[in-house]
Amino acid sequence: MDLERDVTTHTAKIEARNVQVYYGDNHALKDVDVDILDKTVTAFIGPSGCGKSTFLRCLNRMNDTIPSARVEGSIRLDGEDIYDPRVDPVQLRAKVGMVFQKPNPFPKSIYDNVAYGPKIHGLARNRAELDEVVETCLKKAALWGEVKDRLQSPGTGLSGGQQQRLCIARAIATSPEVLLMDEPCSALDPIATAQVEELIDELREQFSVVIVTHSMQQAARVSQRTAFFHLGHLVEYGETAQIFTNPKDPRTESYITGRIG
Amino acid sequence: MSNNQHILRAFDRDLESVQALIMKMGGLVETALSDAARALETQDDDLAERVRLGDAAIDAIEEEVNTECARLIALRAPMGSDLRTVLSVMKIASNLERCGDYAKNLAKRSKVLATMTPIPGAAGSLRRMAKQVELLLKDALDAFIARDAALAEDVRQRDLEVDQMYNALFREFLTHMLEDARNITACMHLHFIAKNIERVGDHATSIAEQVIYLSTGAMPGEARPKAEVVTKGEAEE
Repeated sequence: MDLERDVTTHTAKIEARNVQVYYGDNHALKDVDVDILDKTVTAFIGPSGCGKSTFLRCLNRMNDTIPSARVEGSIRLDGEDIYDPRVDPVQLRAKVGMVFQKPNPFPKSIYDNVAYGPKIHGLARNRAELDEVVETCLKKAALWGEVKDRLQSPGTGLSGGQQQRLCIARAIATSPEVLLMDEPCSALDPIATAQVEELIDELREQFSVVIVTHSMQQAARVSQRTAFFHLGHLVEYGETAQIFTNPKDPRTESYITGRIG
Repeated sequence: MSNNQHILRAFDRDLESVQALIMKMGGLVETALSDAARALETQDDDLAERVRLGDAAIDAIEEEVNTECARLIALRAPMGSDLRTVLSVMKIASNLERCGDYAKNLAKRSKVLATMTPIPGAAGSLRRMAKQVELLLKDALDAFIARDAALAEDVRQRDLEVDQMYNALFREFLTHMLEDARNITACMHLHFIAKNIERVGDHATSIAEQVIYLSTGAMPGEARPKAEVVTKGEAEE
């Protein structure tokens, strides 16, 4: 069988149990149990409002920033409860990085965009080390060749695809263990999308990557595991090839084949 | 298999039209087989010639199915049961194309055999065998349209009967050849015909297996259930 796609031996990086999310009175996410595997790309798919982004945002406590949001249940990263009061959300987000739908570079130079995280987390001791981190991350994000001669130009001056790769470079600069991506390619053209997908495939050698996408072809192309969310429930979670060729749940089947469910 | 319609209705029409092609192709193959077997028994050269010429139409439909499937994959990116439908349709078309070739070969040999001393009973036996295989093919295609895994399973089991008919004919032809060396040429042709009809049965089985894959998402195991039941029964006794 295809060994590259076989991730069954990988250990769980994140274990979510009985997760509930409420926005005020709205019960947005119901009884989610899932193991996100290490060094694996996991795709979250489902119709708008199904809870996939909500769940993604639970994984690095981004929902803390929404006053009406309440999270219940347990989410463990390497066995440690991330909602424990002793956990510093800022430290957590250095370990669980995030890339958003719209590229959002800081209004600073390309260099500073990448250097910002390592600087505030004290990951580089001197300028030379910081230079090295910036170069490594830009190379990993497949952007180095295009920007190496203009590192001091503003990040906002890059094209959309380049900006998104800059944001990925910024996200991996703090050496995260998990990378969350919320529709990272929805604003990109097919070439930039392919570059980001190639990058995601490379990143999974080092990290666990979780990607929310509306493009089922994208989920099929980049992920090894796929989770289908519907009306706040995790309906089906399994090997990507199985989800797309032979889903077990009729709701998954209706969604992926584009039928009226 | 989801019975709901696609949100994009053109997708439904595409899937239906490619499956309609399979049914049309299946109909032509059944007729070709039955006509070829009848031509053999009645020594009807004209009918045999029509079967021979008719194979081009079957080949053309296979081409059309392949083109349509490639278009469906490129334009509709089918998933789940839709993907399994497209994959099955391509395989079934290729099975049917082979069956058409066997019918054509039967027709050719029937014209050659018409010039030789007939082997008593052979043409009748072959026609009965062809009839049996036609039924398998028809049931396999009905199972395909109805997504009926139980009927498909039945087809798989019944292929055993065709194999038994082939074995019986094989021994019969051998006897004729041993009795009189002048029968050898005719018997060789008759044996190839029997073998080809038996092959059509194998293709019907293969179609039935596609139907099982299509409706359950998994290919049936190596052993046919009938054999499994027998072994089980023995083990229990």
